[in-house]
Amino acid sequence: MSEEKQPVNEQNASSTHFGYQTVDTAVKESKVAGVFHSVAQQYDVMNDLMSFGIHRLWKRFTIDASGVRPGNNVLDLAGGTGDLTAKFSKLVGREGRVVLADINSSMLNVGRDKLRDKGLVQNIDYVQANAEYLPFEDNTFDIITIAFGLRNVTHKDRALRSMYRVLKPGGRLLVLEFSKPEHEIINKAYDFYSFNLLPKMGELVAKDGDSYQYLAESIRMHPDQETLKQMMDDAGFEQTSYKNLTDGIVALHKGFKF
Amino acid sequence: MSTIMHHQMLCGFIEKVVNALLSMNLSSSASLVALEQKTLVVSLAELNFPLSLTVSDKQLLVTCITERSDCQIDTSLATLKTLKEEQQLTELIKQDKLNIVGDVKVAQQFADVFQQLDIDWQSEIASYIGDVPTYKLGRFHQWLLAKVTFAKQQVSADASEWLLHEKRVLVSNGELQQLYGQIQQAQQAIQQIEQRISQLDDAINASHQESLS
Repeated sequence: MSEEKQPVNEQNASSTHFGYQTVDTAVKESKVAGVFHSVAQQYDVMNDLMSFGIHRLWKRFTIDASGVRPGNNVLDLAGGTGDLTAKFSKLVGREGRVVLADINSSMLNVGRDKLRDKGLVQNIDYVQANAEYLPFEDNTFDIITIAFGLRNVTHKDRALRSMYRVLKPGGRLLVLEFSKPEHEIINKAYDFYSFNLLPKMGELVAKDGDSYQYLAESIRMHPDQETLKQMMDDAGFEQTSYKNLTDGIVALHKGFKF
Repeated sequence: MSTIMHHQMLCGFIEKVVNALLSMNLSSSASLVALEQKTLVVSLAELNFPLSLTVSDKQLLVTCITERSDCQIDTSLATLKTLKEEQQLTELIKQDKLNIVGDVKVAQQFADVFQQLDIDWQSEIASYIGDVPTYKLGRFHQWLLAKVTFAKQQVSADASEWLLHEKRVLVSNGELQQLYGQIQQAQQAIQQIEQRISQLDDAINASHQESLS
């Protein structure tokens, strides 16, 4: 956890965390990939179940905070099954472009199939990419979003710098991620839910309790609101701020590149 | 749940309902096509946050994004209904009931979309509950509508009757005030007479006592 709160050290460390386990940095990526290969098909159902559908409202708020307009270039990083991409695609129109990027091919395939089934084909590109080494030219995107993805990235500081590089001057980054609840009582209830009910729900629906145990652990290991804000500042983002949603269970961080 | 979540929930609900209605629309969607990628931002006095309506692929997206719009309207729900009457716009703006920034035609085109909605409700309901129940529901609806119409006519006729005949025999406020004035005057006159009688009574008693002595 201390590594997470000191992103400068994280970059040089040869080991990192995978949930509560400490693993070699080279191993984390494949372990995370294993988790998402396993849950990809049931990802949307589990999201609705786990959050009681509230993840849709968090994502709607992210869209609002993006200030997206027709003609914009948007990168939906770790876009998974394409919830944000679907909305962005409609809002940027035919003159705009949305890139749905994910490191995990299974998630990308599920997302692509879902969006094609919805008839969203004209302005969406699919890219399998590592957030730490984004395969795009400098100053490409007006908006970058990463929803529930940053905590799975091995070197978050490297990923943030990569996002900064590909963002256009005047563009904004939005990080929607689990965070630390504001009130202790909510924190306790949330802990009970995450470690007792969530893995059971995962076992029952996705037939994979371990992946949802990892989810709960990875949320606890993720930097809290202020730490992530500082990491964004360190990566070069300006006017960084965050908004707690559902008492801080989730936070939306925003930063600009000028 | 926080205010933000309530706003998002309301936006999501409006988006779902409106798109469901648009998908049932039988009339031409030409007005919707003309609005492709156009955005109308509506700030209603009744809501403490703006609603941004954007048309994309014949669907309506409802968000709270206000950073870009083709037309922005600040008004109330009651005034919104009168927007279709173009000749009233100037008057509403003068009365500070309406503030428009941008292309007013976009706002009117949005209003047209909703006015031109033509939905075959019976067919829609039949797909859920079947033809026979829908037919019976339709008959019940017509019966209820006839009853309500009759009741409305009855109330209207009774009201007219009352206004024409009954209201005339009622005492108006002015008449009532005049009556109060007259009663006050009568009370004062009675008091004066009482005082006069009392004075006369005293005088009679005094002269009677003098004659006895």
